[in-house]
Amino acid sequence: MEIETNTSGGITVVGIRGSVDGLTADELMRTFTERVTAGSVKLVADCSALDYTSSAGLRSLLGAVKLARQHGGDLRLAAIQTQVLRVLDLSGFTGILKHYPDVQSAVTSFAEPA
Amino acid sequence: MTKSVDRHKRGVAVVIGSGSVKCAAALGLVNALNRAGIAIDMLVGCSAGCLYATMIAAGRTTAEAAEMTRVLWTSEIAAQHDRRAVFRAMFPKLLGFDARFGLRSDRLIMQRMRTAFGDMRIEDMKIPLHLTATDFATGNQAVFSSGRAIDAIRASIAVPFLFSPWPIDGRLYLDGYMSDPLPIGVAIKEGAGVIVAMGFESPFQETISTAGRFAFQVSAILSNNLLKSQYSFHALSHHAEVISIIPEFKQRIKLFATEKIPYIIEEGERAAEAQMPYLDRLLSAQSAA
Repeated sequence: MEIETNTSGGITVVGIRGSVDGLTADELMRTFTERVTAGSVKLVADCSALDYTSSAGLRSLLGAVKLARQHGGDLRLAAIQTQVLRVLDLSGFTGILKHYPDVQSAVTSFAEPA
Repeated sequence: MTKSVDRHKRGVAVVIGSGSVKCAAALGLVNALNRAGIAIDMLVGCSAGCLYATMIAAGRTTAEAAEMTRVLWTSEIAAQHDRRAVFRAMFPKLLGFDARFGLRSDRLIMQRMRTAFGDMRIEDMKIPLHLTATDFATGNQAVFSSGRAIDAIRASIAVPFLFSPWPIDGRLYLDGYMSDPLPIGVAIKEGAGVIVAMGFESPFQETISTAGRFAFQVSAILSNNLLKSQYSFHALSHHAEVISIIPEFKQRIKLFATEKIPYIIEEGERAAEAQMPYLDRLLSAQSAA
C-alpha cells in the first residue's frame, strides 16, 4: 500500500494505492491519526487506486471516521472501485460514510451546509 | 469433540455462505488456494454452502464435487409437491397442522444425499467441519460439529415453506441462512485467525408473478439485510482477519442452474485469485512472527 497526502484549502486528500489489509491497516490509521492531531480534520480518502480492503482495513477506516468526527471533522470517500464498494456495502459502511464519485465532489461537499 | 486450529500451520478457515448453486464458486476458491500452497484447516458451511463444505472436508476433488452437484442439485428435487402439506395448510383444524410444514417433498433430495454422502459423520472429515442451521423454536444459530452429515445438511437447506424443518435430537431446524447467511462467527469462535469468507447476496425477483416469487423476494430482502448486519459485526468487532471473496456473476444464476457450474467455478476462482498474493504475504508474516 502507498499513501500520498495533499492538503489544500483546509481539506486533506489522502490517496490510497493498493490494498488496505492486516499488513497495512496500521500504517493507514497512523496517517489519519497524525493528520487529525495536526488539525486536519476534514479528510477525503481518494480510493481510485484502492484495490481491496479486508476486515482490518475496514476497522482502520472506521477508526479514522470516528477520530475525525470526534474532532469536529469527517472522513469522506471518493472514487471507490467496484470491488471495494461491494465490501463497503456488505459491511454497512455505505450507510454511515459519505462517499462521492470523484475527489472533487468529495472536497466540494465540505463546503456544503451539513 | 471440536478440533482446534493449529496456529503455526500455513492455513486458513474457509466459510461458505448460503447461495444455492452459486456456492459452487467455493470450488474455484479451493483451486486458487491449492495453487498458492495454502491449506484449509477449517470449513464452515451454511445452507447450500454446507454441501460444498462437506465435499471439500471429505477430500473430494473439484471435479468430483462439481459432478456430485450436477447429479444432486437439479430442479427435480423441489418439483414434487407435498399434497398432504397443502391440504393441512388449507384445513388445519380438520387435518391437523404442525411445525414440520413444507410445500415440497424432500424424498428425492434425501435419496440423492444418501447416495452422495452415505453415513459420513462430520467429526470424521479430513478437515474440521462445522455446519450451521437455525433452531426453529428459538431462532438461534445451531452449529453441528459432529453427527451425521446428511442430517446437518438437510437441516441447513430447509428453506422455509419449501422444505420442512428437519429434526435432530428432538429439535427442529430450519435453513442456516435464517440466522446468519455467512457464518464467519463460527470460524472466529473455533479459533481461526485468518478467515476467507465467500458470500452471496440472494437475487431479487425480476417479476412478482406468483405467490412463490413474492415469498422469495421477501426472503431475499431479509436475508441480504441480515448478511450485511452480521458481516459488519464480525468484520469490525473481532481481531480475526476476514478476507471476503464475493464473486461477480454477470450472468443470472437461477436456483438449480447446474449447467452453469463451470462458469460459477471460474468466477469463484477469479475472485479468489485476486486475494492470493495478500494471503500469501499475510501467512508468511504470521509464520515469521
